[in-house]
Amino acid sequence: MAAGGSGGGNKTYSFKVVLLGEGCVGKTSLVLRYCENKFNDKHITTLQASFLTKKLNIGGKRVNLAIWDTAGQERFHALGPIYYRDSNGAILVYDITDEDSFQKVKNWVKELRKMLGNEICLCIVGNKVDLEKERHVSVQEAEGYAESVGAKHYHTSAKLNKGIEELFLDLCKRMIETAQADERAKGNGSSQSGTARRGVQIVDDEPQNAATAGGGCCSSV
Amino acid sequence: MSQKSERRGIRVDQSELLCTKGCGYYGNPAWQGFCSKCWREEYHHVRQKQIKEDWALAERLQREEEAAYASSQGAQSQPSLTPFSKFEEKKSNEKTRKVTTVKKFFSPSSRIGSKKAAPETAGKCVPSGRERHADTLLRDLREIFTPPWDLASPTEESHETKAPSPSISRQASIETDQVSRDFIDFLKSLHKPGREIHKQCRAFIETMATKEDHQSVEELSECVQDFYQNMSDRLLTHFKGSSERVERVMDQVEKYIMTRLYKNVFCPEITDDEKKDLAVQKRIRALHWVTIQMLCVPVDEEIPEVSDMVVKAITDIIEMDSKRVPRDKLACITKCSKDIFNAIKITRNEPASADDFLPTLIYIVLKANPPRLQSNIQYITRFCNPSRLMTGEDGYYFTNLCCAVAFIEKLDAQSLNLSPEDFERYMTGQASPRRQDPEGLSQVYQSLELLSGLGERQERVLDGARRLESDLIDWQDGVAREVQDILDKYPLEIRPPASAIDSDNVENDRLPPPLLPQVFAG
Repeated sequence: MAAGGSGGGNKTYSFKVVLLGEGCVGKTSLVLRYCENKFNDKHITTLQASFLTKKLNIGGKRVNLAIWDTAGQERFHALGPIYYRDSNGAILVYDITDEDSFQKVKNWVKELRKMLGNEICLCIVGNKVDLEKERHVSVQEAEGYAESVGAKHYHTSAKLNKGIEELFLDLCKRMIETAQADERAKGNGSSQSGTARRGVQIVDDEPQNAATAGGGCCSSV
Repeated sequence: MSQKSERRGIRVDQSELLCTKGCGYYGNPAWQGFCSKCWREEYHHVRQKQIKEDWALAERLQREEEAAYASSQGAQSQPSLTPFSKFEEKKSNEKTRKVTTVKKFFSPSSRIGSKKAAPETAGKCVPSGRERHADTLLRDLREIFTPPWDLASPTEESHETKAPSPSISRQASIETDQVSRDFIDFLKSLHKPGREIHKQCRAFIETMATKEDHQSVEELSECVQDFYQNMSDRLLTHFKGSSERVERVMDQVEKYIMTRLYKNVFCPEITDDEKKDLAVQKRIRALHWVTIQMLCVPVDEEIPEVSDMVVKAITDIIEMDSKRVPRDKLACITKCSKDIFNAIKITRNEPASADDFLPTLIYIVLKANPPRLQSNIQYITRFCNPSRLMTGEDGYYFTNLCCAVAFIEKLDAQSLNLSPEDFERYMTGQASPRRQDPEGLSQVYQSLELLSGLGERQERVLDGARRLESDLIDWQDGVAREVQDILDKYPLEIRPPASAIDSDNVENDRLPPPLLPQVFAG
């Protein structure tokens, strides 16, 4: 959670953001575009694209963003709760040319809301808008759904570098707001001890998860 | 571990333990039988001289540490009585002081060293019948936890020989001592707050020692986490919000505290961590047949660099068990993860995403079967500085390891894309999947083809050889026949040789000499 440094309004927020999405929706391209500004580039210096960090300064507030990629394969679906424990935000990516990937996003949203309640900022991202001609998920449906679950919807293209900067900036602003509201609610001093002591634990996944995983449309891979 | 056998070693009269001055508090032979208060009064003026106000802070820290040692080991420590006696004074207020002290000595021992040592020492002391045998027992027990250089101090010399100290705990204490010294060296660089931090840590370890016996691991974890929280809050105010510095100090604090507490809080007997360890170990063993293909691992072990990386990753994850500090354990996981990323990068030539990383990590865990996996995970979860686990890179890799373990525990036919029947057969060991199926089979067929071709050719060669043989025989016969024919045609007749003119001339010398040509010069 927002583990902040003291000293006036000069706070540093640390946010954890999980990246969810099926195999080939372009999660990796999305973060690599954001953090390295590269797409399918042979000169990508980073060894991995599964844990990336970014430092931002939004209106004088420093933000350390840690982006956690998650394995999107169907077989790892049940592990989701271990990943998104304690996260401040979630980016749910689907491919606009792939109806299935949008269904997966719906599953994750349900789970996230169940596990983390309304504390988490959700972003639903329709990636690959450069392939508008092959669109299979309608804009109205996607945006309508996002609104119905209290998430924000974004259209992006990692290839054309469209909408990505806005997505992360917007998400950060929302997370700051949530964190501030949280602090106010808890009163100043006690906010940290409550949130800081949250480790990672292995939890038994609920039977529902297993059911959705089993009934899920097609297991790719 | 039979607590009874140790307790029966202490057969002392209450009066023997009391202060010789008769103030009612317990005395200590190390203070010549005085209690801490009387001892302090007795030697007050001597000490006043010793403790000069302008002592360098560094020196003080060093002494404090020595005193801390002495207080936990009961040895004499002249130069640094201020913190020492203060501590003892506090202790003496407790009614059950002796008991807790003894307990304290036993509680860490119940884990490693004294399983062998304690009955040994107890057996040794009981029949000795010495006047101060309780003290001797205590001393012997202390010596188990006393580093060798402390043993060699003059006051302890006389007892040293008969104190069998098992090498395990001795080594452990050497390591602990090294960590303490590093910690003090580090704190010296911080000057005044360093002293405060040290005091806090020591006090915390003391309170933890009393809690270890009768509290659950969760409560202990809570204590440690609270301590981290308070400490970092204080540091944050002190350093005016410089979180980097706070982090650096906190790392050292964690290292110091957890090295001290490790023995008692890692895989404690009161939890079922050990059972879980064994369960995971058995599970991984049962899954030995899982292949790279089943998990869709994006590494190609045929490439030598990749297989080197895989081996390195396996070594690193196994090494985790040998570390004591949660942060060091995390570092092992991170190192292992980096090796995995390297392996993927070499194979695929692109940065690895979580889709690639997690299956590979699962594969590595299956291959490595790291010792005490669950205990290590639990220990890190309970006692690591939470800020590290929550957002840091280490935390991410640790989470992935947790995922890998969870996946292995729940793994079924579907998650490997196998039919339930196949999965069942592999699990029960009735069958094992054909390794590298298509490749192996085609190779066999190729070899078979080659072999049959080879046979044919050999046949041909043999045919040729046989023909050659018969040809040779024919030829030989032919030649022999020809020779015979000729021999028959021209039979060998040996006629007497025609006599030469000179041959049987008997009167040779009667002949005139042959004419010699004469040369005339023209």
